[in-house]
Amino acid sequence: MVIRVNYDADDNLSVVEASEICLKCGVCCVVKEHSCHAQLDSQFSPKCTYVYDCLGMDLPSENPNIWLCVSCHKCEEMCPYEVSPIRFIESMKAKAFEDGLAHPVIFGEVANIVSTGFAFPLTVSSSRQRQQLGLEPLNESAAEDLMKIAEKTGLSGKIDKYRGEEL
Amino acid sequence: MKYSFFKGCFLSVRLPHLERVSVNVLGELGVELKETRGFSCCPEPVGFLSTDKLTGMAIAARNISLAEEEGLDILTLCNGCTYSLRHVNHALKADEEAREKVNEVLSETDHQFRGTVDVKHFASVLMNDVGLDRVARKIEKPLKGLTVAGHTGCHIVSPPEIMAFDDPFDPQVLDKMVNVLGSEPADFDLKTLCCGWTLTNYGDKDGADKLLGAKLESMHRAGSDCVSVICPQCFYQFDMGQLLASRRLGLDFSVPVLFYLQLLGLAMGYSLEDIGLKRHRTKSSGFEEKILEALG
Repeated sequence: MVIRVNYDADDNLSVVEASEICLKCGVCCVVKEHSCHAQLDSQFSPKCTYVYDCLGMDLPSENPNIWLCVSCHKCEEMCPYEVSPIRFIESMKAKAFEDGLAHPVIFGEVANIVSTGFAFPLTVSSSRQRQQLGLEPLNESAAEDLMKIAEKTGLSGKIDKYRGEEL
Repeated sequence: MKYSFFKGCFLSVRLPHLERVSVNVLGELGVELKETRGFSCCPEPVGFLSTDKLTGMAIAARNISLAEEEGLDILTLCNGCTYSLRHVNHALKADEEAREKVNEVLSETDHQFRGTVDVKHFASVLMNDVGLDRVARKIEKPLKGLTVAGHTGCHIVSPPEIMAFDDPFDPQVLDKMVNVLGSEPADFDLKTLCCGWTLTNYGDKDGADKLLGAKLESMHRAGSDCVSVICPQCFYQFDMGQLLASRRLGLDFSVPVLFYLQLLGLAMGYSLEDIGLKRHRTKSSGFEEKILEALG
């Protein structure tokens, strides 16, 4: 059985076409040590694997399970047909982000990186620890450049739109 | 050996004691780390680089350009940073069109990507630039009697044509690095399974617990005294993550974690205090006794 993908829901035809080669052999998910880590989630089984779930939805970018992919490339390396599920899943993540459907943690992380230069907030505790250890203090000097980059690519507008706040 | 030091935001913000010991140990091995001004997050590969590719590539290219301006290769302490920076470095060196597009974005800043430097994880520097022979000559107190489970992590090995570090299906490099310390690498299954950090971060705590629990049980069955990692996120998952997962899973054992450079520091004569062990959340009295015995 060939996996179904709704072309109207996707703007990256080559990635989608590649995904249609999938013959559901399951190798990408059922070889425990060498395959997909997300498969360990209790909602998946050898008959309904994580990759089938991601590739089989009519609107794959709206499937919340795409955010379980950790970009480890195991599926790509195991696949005997060069389907590269990771390319499909990452493409759907990009579409979901574009449409404002990304996991809320992602929007928070992206906004934090653009506005401070760090993925994780600088805290009083970390500053104190660094001082105790004789390490240089951290600063947000990169933020100015990152905000210029985000303005140029249009990311700032998406963050404003989907988080409802100014950077 | 001089490198532009890309410490990464997770390690420098959440685990500064690992930065301290890394700088000290690498310095003693003749690795000079230049504090390059203006680095930002790499950016993080799973949440940022795969969702807004152009912005992610431009941010990574800006970081690489700062090292290019100093004429130095980049040294990283994190698998994720290495993944993002190597992927973008590889893509932009190979694809002129992508390079022009990214440089057009970077024209808003004072930087341009030229493709003149390499990005190296510290483990790769130890293996290829310093050399394990030189590392071995620095060992003063071999950690004999210690069985160490090496967890290489996902993002440093795949895809191998870009990461060029180890075999993703049968990683051996970290075991060789453990051997140099005088310790025994643990022979355990599920060696290539993810630590579960990213799953925890993006909302699947059950899946992450199952993953981590399965790995820990496998390490424990193989008689591991500790697990050694080369990535701060993996470190955090095996330390704080193990503490939380143990409660939920009801594990009756613990496998303490050490960043590889902490273990190397011990073997070079550092004390438990020097490597910041008191800051770790997953404890094991048996492990500390064994280490103190090895250190004499």
